[in-house]
Amino acid sequence: MRILTVDDSRTILAMLHHTLSNAGFEVLQAEDGQKGLSVLEREKVDVVITDINMPVMDGIEFIKHVRAKGIHASLPILILTTETSQDKRDQGRAAGGTGWIVKPFDPEKLISVIHRVVH
Amino acid sequence: MSDLDDFKATYFDECSELLTELEEQFATIEGGDQSSERLNAVFRAIHSIKGGAGAFGFSGLVGFAHAYETLLDKVREGQVRLSPDVTALCIRANDIVADFVAAARAGTELPGEYGADEKARFDALCAGEDDDGGEPMEEFDIEFVPVMVDLDKGAGEEGPADPAGLDAFAAAPLAADGEHWEIRFRPHSELYARANDPLLLFRELATLGELSVRAVFEPIPLLADFEPFGVYCAWEMTLASPTATETAIREAFEFVEGNCDLEVVQLSAAPVTVAEPEALSLLAAVEPIAARLADRMPEPPALELPDEAEAPLPSFSDLADTIKSAAPARQPFIPIRSEPMTPRAPVAEAPAAAPDAEAERRNGVQSIRVDLDKVDRVVNMVGELVITQSMLTQQMDDTLRQKYQELVRGLEVLAQTTRGLQDSVMAIRAQPVKSVFSRMPRLVRELATKTGKKIRLETIGENTEIDKTVIEQLSDPLTHMIRNSADHGIELPEKRLAAGKTETGVIRLSAEQAGGNILIVVEDDGAGINREKVMQVARQRGVVAADQQLTDEQIDQLIFAPGFSTAEAVSDISGRGVGMDVVLSNIKKIGGSVHVRSWAGRGTRMTLRLPLTLAVLDVMLVRVSQNPYVVPLSSIVETMQCSRASFERVPSGGKVLQVRGEYVQVIDLCDRFEMATSVDEKNRFVVLCEAEGSVKVALVVDDIIGQQQVVIKSLEENFESIEGIAGGTILGDGNVALIVDVQGLKTAKLRRAAA
Repeated sequence: MRILTVDDSRTILAMLHHTLSNAGFEVLQAEDGQKGLSVLEREKVDVVITDINMPVMDGIEFIKHVRAKGIHASLPILILTTETSQDKRDQGRAAGGTGWIVKPFDPEKLISVIHRVVH
Repeated sequence: MSDLDDFKATYFDECSELLTELEEQFATIEGGDQSSERLNAVFRAIHSIKGGAGAFGFSGLVGFAHAYETLLDKVREGQVRLSPDVTALCIRANDIVADFVAAARAGTELPGEYGADEKARFDALCAGEDDDGGEPMEEFDIEFVPVMVDLDKGAGEEGPADPAGLDAFAAAPLAADGEHWEIRFRPHSELYARANDPLLLFRELATLGELSVRAVFEPIPLLADFEPFGVYCAWEMTLASPTATETAIREAFEFVEGNCDLEVVQLSAAPVTVAEPEALSLLAAVEPIAARLADRMPEPPALELPDEAEAPLPSFSDLADTIKSAAPARQPFIPIRSEPMTPRAPVAEAPAAAPDAEAERRNGVQSIRVDLDKVDRVVNMVGELVITQSMLTQQMDDTLRQKYQELVRGLEVLAQTTRGLQDSVMAIRAQPVKSVFSRMPRLVRELATKTGKKIRLETIGENTEIDKTVIEQLSDPLTHMIRNSADHGIELPEKRLAAGKTETGVIRLSAEQAGGNILIVVEDDGAGINREKVMQVARQRGVVAADQQLTDEQIDQLIFAPGFSTAEAVSDISGRGVGMDVVLSNIKKIGGSVHVRSWAGRGTRMTLRLPLTLAVLDVMLVRVSQNPYVVPLSSIVETMQCSRASFERVPSGGKVLQVRGEYVQVIDLCDRFEMATSVDEKNRFVVLCEAEGSVKVALVVDDIIGQQQVVIKSLEENFESIEGIAGGTILGDGNVALIVDVQGLKTAKLRRAAA
């Protein structure tokens, strides 16, 4: 199963990569929404995990773009969010986010959330 | 190193980049640019620092960054004005964040109240602006409106699930053991639009206990009215679980909250279960519908062209069939077990796209991160290549040159390519000095506060690039020099005003490339070096002989002499028990030199001359007695034959050379290194070099062999430090040559003369 992780923080990308690849996922990375879109253009992925606050194209905009493409209508998108940014989470959901992951995440929780949105 | 340490290392790297960015952004903001782009970048930087800190449990940092982030969020939303006061607070906050990061990196704790004042001010600022009615209303509330108004869609999907179906559900007979829950679930089309899948929700619920699911079909409209993205199906479930709570059940629906109608009711007993074959057949019927509905959600053409309703409906007939056949079998419950059900055809099993280099390039991968070790390996190999190449060139004697002209041409190309390769590799290691310069504004701010002086820092040429290793070694000396300028150079405001200067002192930090060197200049407009005091102290400490007379310039250089410090009392800032001699030794370590000039009452200028790269040196190869020595080309002014030079003897027994009216000290390397020369005096050569501060030194050698590049090998690491020798190198023929340290020879001579 392939997961695209989108975050401008190298730390978060590295931690996601570590956790996900240990769990047997194939992990793709992008540093902002724009780059995330170009990855989706050429790669087939099963789940997307995206941050909200990013330069160039933020997570909300990114989700809207993904959903605007018919082929990605049923692609699960998880939003990376903090406990305190409820409004951002809601914006992300309204844009088409499937679910969310609260940072800081513990590895087991992360995997279980992924299993909640993908077969 | 454990994974966690790896992540931490990445995090701290990232933090220093972000802190540098913050420093830069605020410099621009202070300059009046408050564009949202800038404010967003600032917000993001703090947000990222906080995010990582949370992952590692740096709670002090998280707490502070969170309060700061909240303020920045209000600032970028325009709810708090970024007045000069608030800007100053933010800049202070950046410093505090940097302190928290530094403490986390060092594994130490800051005092609990650290940054508490600033945090309180953040809260006050945020609260102050919130009085007008609290949080602004969220404009994306639509998803919580139970009835969707969507002009593109037909009627028939508004309102909750068909109550008729629910009656049957409620009337289901119940068994008597365990806790039982009724769950009524009717998705809205938004649920599918957000790629949620009811099947996964069922799977989640099934982890809580024994789950039975029954589909409730709503009337399917006529083809003309059929809405392809409409929702015509709801589900009713019974969950038998002794442990489940309503919270746990609702949690399974967490992601779809607001996108469905959901009722959770506790019953007292279990329903009768139904024969499995029947249940499975219904499950098989439901799955394709769910799948199709989910898959079909937002395909714009179908929405825009309602009269072509047939177009998106190749599956309509079997959909209708399925529903027809399923409808009579409506009562049975479907037991779902904890193990995952057979999934519908996975979306993503198409073969992965082949790696497409062209696409990769198109999509603009503009930078990559490479481990410094890897770059160093390349640098070292290129160094060796340079040596081999020069060795090959040396092996070509005239006979060979005549005989193999093709080979000669090949070697020339090789030499060129090697040079180009070397430059390119060095460029990879080069970094703008910005990364060091950007730490200085904070230092100057702190120094100004501590000393009660007014100081402004100006930086010039911060995009000048230097070798990464040089940059890393630059921070300490530069910090020390700036401390020195702020502490000893710049005067107190009243003193400045009395001297007819502006109240605010200026420290100017600049970098530029000059030939094969980088010049870094720290300049202040302070009082200048107090030479009288310097001489007095130098005599006291025996750095200079009591009767020795020095020029002003020589006196200025004394501040770099080991163990020298003019501060009468050790001050909190620059007098930390180490003098400027540390600066000199640090700079020398990376092959650079320091020079200071001072003008009484007008200021002091300290110049660092640094090599562009550490690895390779352009040198002149000379012979002293029977041994090869190399002199760095960057320090050579000119060369001449001794027969043409005009030496003069001085009373002390030494020699000086007269060059264009200037007297230059002569150092005979044979004498200096205690070797006998067999070469006639007039056939020897003079190599005129420039030491620090444009002071010239004439080196006398037996012969000049030529120019070449050498790879520097450290003597300290491989042998021991020798006065007057900067290092060693291996020549093309395999011989070892020592690198002459012009400045070192000159200083040693001075010290001997003084002794």
